[in-house]
Amino acid sequence: MKLSYIIREGIIGIKRSRMPFMISVFSVTIALLIVGLGVLAVDNSLQFIGEFQADYDLEIFLENEATTFEKTELAAIVKDYPGIFRMDYLSKEDAAALYNAEFGEDVLSLLDDNPLPSSFRITFEDDHRSADYILTFIQNMNELDGVDEVIFKKDLFNRVQGIMQLVYTVATITLFLIILSTVFLTANNLRLMILARYEFIETVRLLGASDFLVKAPFFLEGGILGFLGASLSVLLIILAEYGIKYYVHLDLPVKIIDHPEVILGLILFGVSLSSLGVLKAVRKMLRFVA
Amino acid sequence: MIRFDKVFLRYDTGISLRDLNFTIDKDEFVYLYGDSGSGKSSILKMIYMDMFPNAGTVDVLGADSSNIKRRDIAMIRQKIGMVFQDFHLLSDRDIYSNIALPLEIQGAKADEVRSKVTSKADELGIRSRLSHYPHELSAGEQQRVALARAIVNSPDILLADEPIAHLDAKAAADVVRYIWKIHDAGTSVVFATHNETLLKKDPARTMTLVSGEVVKDRQL
Ligand SMILES: Nc1ncnc2c1ncn2[C@@H]1O[C@H](COP(=O)(O)OP(=O)(O)OP(=O)(O)O)[C@@H](O)[C@H]1O
Ligand SMILES: [Mg+2]
Repeated sequence: MKLSYIIREGIIGIKRSRMPFMISVFSVTIALLIVGLGVLAVDNSLQFIGEFQADYDLEIFLENEATTFEKTELAAIVKDYPGIFRMDYLSKEDAAALYNAEFGEDVLSLLDDNPLPSSFRITFEDDHRSADYILTFIQNMNELDGVDEVIFKKDLFNRVQGIMQLVYTVATITLFLIILSTVFLTANNLRLMILARYEFIETVRLLGASDFLVKAPFFLEGGILGFLGASLSVLLIILAEYGIKYYVHLDLPVKIIDHPEVILGLILFGVSLSSLGVLKAVRKMLRFVA
Repeated sequence: MIRFDKVFLRYDTGISLRDLNFTIDKDEFVYLYGDSGSGKSSILKMIYMDMFPNAGTVDVLGADSSNIKRRDIAMIRQKIGMVFQDFHLLSDRDIYSNIALPLEIQGAKADEVRSKVTSKADELGIRSRLSHYPHELSAGEQQRVALARAIVNSPDILLADEPIAHLDAKAAADVVRYIWKIHDAGTSVVFATHNETLLKKDPARTMTLVSGEVVKDRQL
């Protein structure tokens, strides 16, 4: 079968050009290492910014005369609301203690009755933290008995959201430029690798190989090359994560090892980058061969 | 089978072939005879679709040079065996793999490849060279490897560009006899040579080229 020809020629090709092959593997590794580390650095800094953000998104203040029964019922409703990551109950006493801690004054010493309301502090899950979703939530809460007021930490929220947006934009542009240059460098390297195989390409074409048959082994070779390069880069990133954990004692919140989709993405990117790069180089060379 | 119709070929350096008109039928044996630079290789390259005329058409096995697709060029070449003047052997593969290449391109099975390669190598006296590399062979041996590769898949047409140029009289005679045998088994042969004694010893239709023109086409 011609399939056996394609596989055999692909493997022979790798053996014949071992040096250029290895160099290409490493160039893919370095390219993906930069991309992978870039993605992780962005995700981790966003995570840190996220932690820096207020530890809750909004606060539901309860009416002073709300009964324990009403509060329990409210708590159940809020808890069941989709997209809630966390809910903490603050009693009137908790609120007074917080006031005390923050302003250094005992609210009970000024007034004989505690004026501070009890409340729920709510944190949304990340993928539910959109303005629309939260506004709907606030409307729904306002209609419930026992709710006095819902205060949305909108300002802070917007500001952090703004910073995140900026980080995202800058990071995306930078990453895009890096990816572009790695694609360019890798493609160039692959071109040099293919150039060394001109004799083979010309001869098999003269002996009656179709363009497809000429290209197929190279395509396979490129795929293997990309797979090796990408796997190596993933391995190095995982090692780096462990290194940071054990030597810098910093446990990164986002690690590649917890994200198989990122690993898969890097490998797919590596495989398609190099197999398409090789294909392009061969196609270019075929133009010089009748 | 092969038809040249008002064919002109021009290189950057000037016109190399002018107004070629001839046909070569199935089962013919034709010598392309002429001095160095007269245009023998250029004609073979056009038959092989490695080069295309600047004017006129070349028709080979039903394919027309003026509108053939790349795919079909590959198909045509699989039916033609070519002994290149400069051999075109792959320097990084042993002789066995070099001879096997056309079969592998066509997807032949491993044992078919083995039996065909070894029998051709036997017939051409290069069996003991199968595991060597081209640079380890003499020019004459390389020439026989090129011939073995050209006929290993039993082509309809054999194009031989100076296939005995590097051989001594005895080896040359053997190879010529061998090519005649291939012809007798049903392969059309176009044989480019500048060797006049050959034409006298093994006469056949001879097209004589002078400066890119066919000045004589002598049928037997
Ligand atoms: N690639 C090329 N570029 C420019 N001119 C060429 C090229 N190939 C051949 N020619 C010219 O075309 C003419 C015919 O060349 P060709 O190779 O067909 O001759 P030939 O009969 O095969 O000669 P030889 O016996 O030396 O092999 C010559 O004048 C040669 O200089
Ligand atoms: Mg010539």
